[in-house]
Amino acid sequence: MPEWFKLLGIAIVVVGLALKLRTTLVVVMAALVTGLLAGIPLLSSEGIFENLPYLTKPGQPGIINMLGRAFADFRLMTLFIITLPAIGLAERYGLQEQSARLIRRIKVATVGRLQIVYQLFRVLHGILGIRLNGHPPFVRPLVFPMSVAAAEAEAGAQSVDDLPIQRVEDIKAAASASENYGNFYGQNLSPVQAGIQLVLVTMAGLGYTVSAWSLVLYAIPITTISIILGALQFWLFDRRYRRRIAREKAEVRVQ
Amino acid sequence: MIVLLAVSPASILGALFSLDMVYALTGVVLWIFAAMTFADRGNPRRIGTGCFWVTLGVIFIAGSLMPHWLTGLLVILMVALDGAGRVARGRYDETTDAEHAREADRLGNKIFIPVLVIPFVTFGVAVIFRFRGMDANAGALVGLGFGGISAMAMGLLLTGGKARAMMDEGRRINDAMGTVNILPQLLGSLGVIFTAAKIGDLIAGGITSVIPQDNLFLLVLANCLGMALFAIVMGNSFAAFPVIATGVLVPLIIKPFGVNPAMVAIITLTAGSSGTLMTPMAANFNIVPTALLNMRDQYGVIKFQLPYALTIWTLHVILMWAMIRIF
Repeated sequence: MPEWFKLLGIAIVVVGLALKLRTTLVVVMAALVTGLLAGIPLLSSEGIFENLPYLTKPGQPGIINMLGRAFADFRLMTLFIITLPAIGLAERYGLQEQSARLIRRIKVATVGRLQIVYQLFRVLHGILGIRLNGHPPFVRPLVFPMSVAAAEAEAGAQSVDDLPIQRVEDIKAAASASENYGNFYGQNLSPVQAGIQLVLVTMAGLGYTVSAWSLVLYAIPITTISIILGALQFWLFDRRYRRRIAREKAEVRVQ
Repeated sequence: MIVLLAVSPASILGALFSLDMVYALTGVVLWIFAAMTFADRGNPRRIGTGCFWVTLGVIFIAGSLMPHWLTGLLVILMVALDGAGRVARGRYDETTDAEHAREADRLGNKIFIPVLVIPFVTFGVAVIFRFRGMDANAGALVGLGFGGISAMAMGLLLTGGKARAMMDEGRRINDAMGTVNILPQLLGSLGVIFTAAKIGDLIAGGITSVIPQDNLFLLVLANCLGMALFAIVMGNSFAAFPVIATGVLVPLIIKPFGVNPAMVAIITLTAGSSGTLMTPMAANFNIVPTALLNMRDQYGVIKFQLPYALTIWTLHVILMWAMIRIF
C-alpha cells in the first residue's frame, strides 16, 4: 500500500464536511481511518486487552488509547463551560441591554466606523480571555441594527425600506466580518485562550517548552495589523458609499 | 501525627487549587446541566442529550484517573450519540426582552461586575501561581475555573436570582453551542493521531521535494500556505496547527535555522485564521451569520472577507520571514 493512502483521513474530512455530515462523527472517522491505514492497532496491548489478536499489536499504543488520552489532555479547551452559568445569569438580568445602552452613548456617525469600534471591542474580549462567537449575541441584536440606523441617517432615509437592498446586504456582510476579524486575531492576547493553549501543548509534544506569555507577546504584531487592515477596509467601505450618494444627488440636480 | 497536621493544610490547598479540581468542578456543572436535561420534557431528545453531557462530565471529573482506553470509548459513545442525532436543544426557564430591559434599568452597569470577575480572578490566580514559582499557565486555567465559580456567587448576590434559574441559563447557552463545544478537543485529538500516523512527515516530504531546504523565504511561504490550505479544508486553524507544526514548522524552520519557537508558532496559527476567513467549512463563522441576518447570498460574508484574508495572509509570510531575519 503506498504511503500517501494515509491521506485518506484528510479526504474524509473534506468530503464529510462538504456533504454537511456531523462534524464530530467525520473527525472521529478520519482519526480511526488514518490510524488504521498507518498500521496503528485499535487498542494498546495492556491490562485486559493484553495480547488480544487483531485489535492489538505488542508494544504499540492503540488509536482508542491515544484518542482518550488526547481528549483528556485537551480538556483545558472546553473549560469555558464553567463560565456559562454566570454569563447566562448576567444575560437574564440585562447584560445585552446594558451593553447596547453603553454602545449607543458612543456617538458613531457611519457604518464603517461602527465596525471599527466593534472590532476593537472584540479584541478587548480576547485580552480579557473571553472566547465567544459574537454573531448571535452582538451582531444580530446590536451591531446590525445600529449600523442600519447609521446608514439611514447618512442617506437621509426614514426607514430600512428606503435604503437600497444591496446597501443593507453589504452592511450585513461588513458586520459579520468585523466580528470574525476581531475574534480571530484578537483571541490570542490572553494566556488562557484555547489557541495559545493548543500551541503550548503541541510545541511541548514536539519537545519545545514555550511560555504562554511569550506567545501572547508575539501575537501582538499580527493583531495590530489586523486592526489596521480592518479599519482600512471599513474606511473604504464608507467612502465608496459617500461617493455614490454624492453622485446620485448630483444626477438628481442635473435632471 | 504532628507532622501530618503540619503538612496537610498546604497539601489541601494544593489539591484545591489544582487543574484536576477545576476539571472536576466543570464536570459537576455538566452533570447539573445533564440532570436538568433528563427532566426537560420540552427536549425531544432529552435522554440522548442528557447522556451526552453526563459522559462529558465523567471525562472531566475522572479523565486523569480513568484508563485511556475507557476515555477513548466514552468519546466514541458521545460522537455516536451526536452522529445518531440524539443531541438536541430543550426548553429553558427564560425571561422576556422587556424583563431584561427592566432589570437593566434596575441594575445598570453593576451587571458587568460578575462578568468582569472572570478575567480578574483568572489573572489574579495566574499571578499568584507565578509568585509561588508554579506554572502560571496552569494558574490561568485554575483561575478561569474559580473565576467562573466566583462570578456565579457574585451574580446571585447582586441580582438576587435563583441558583436553579442560573444553571438553566447556563444550560441554554451550552445547548445552543451544542456538540460544537467538544470540537476543539476532538480536532486536537485528530492532530495527535495525524502525528502518530506521521502525516506531517508525509506532507513535509512533499514540500521538501519541491522546495530547496536552504531557502528560508520559500519555506516560510510553504509553512503559511500549508496552514491556510489546511484551515480551508478543515474549517478551523486549530486542527491544522499540529499537522503543520509537526511536518513543516519544527523540522524545516525551527530546528535547522535555530528560530525562537514561540515567535513563529503563533504566527503560523494565525496564518491559518486567514484561511478560516475564506472557507464555507467554517460554517459557524461564515455561513451561520448569513442565516442569522437573512442574507440573500450564502457566501456574502466570505466574499466580503476575501480581500482582507488574502492581504493579511501575505503580511503573515512577510512578517514571519522578516522577524526570523531580524531576531
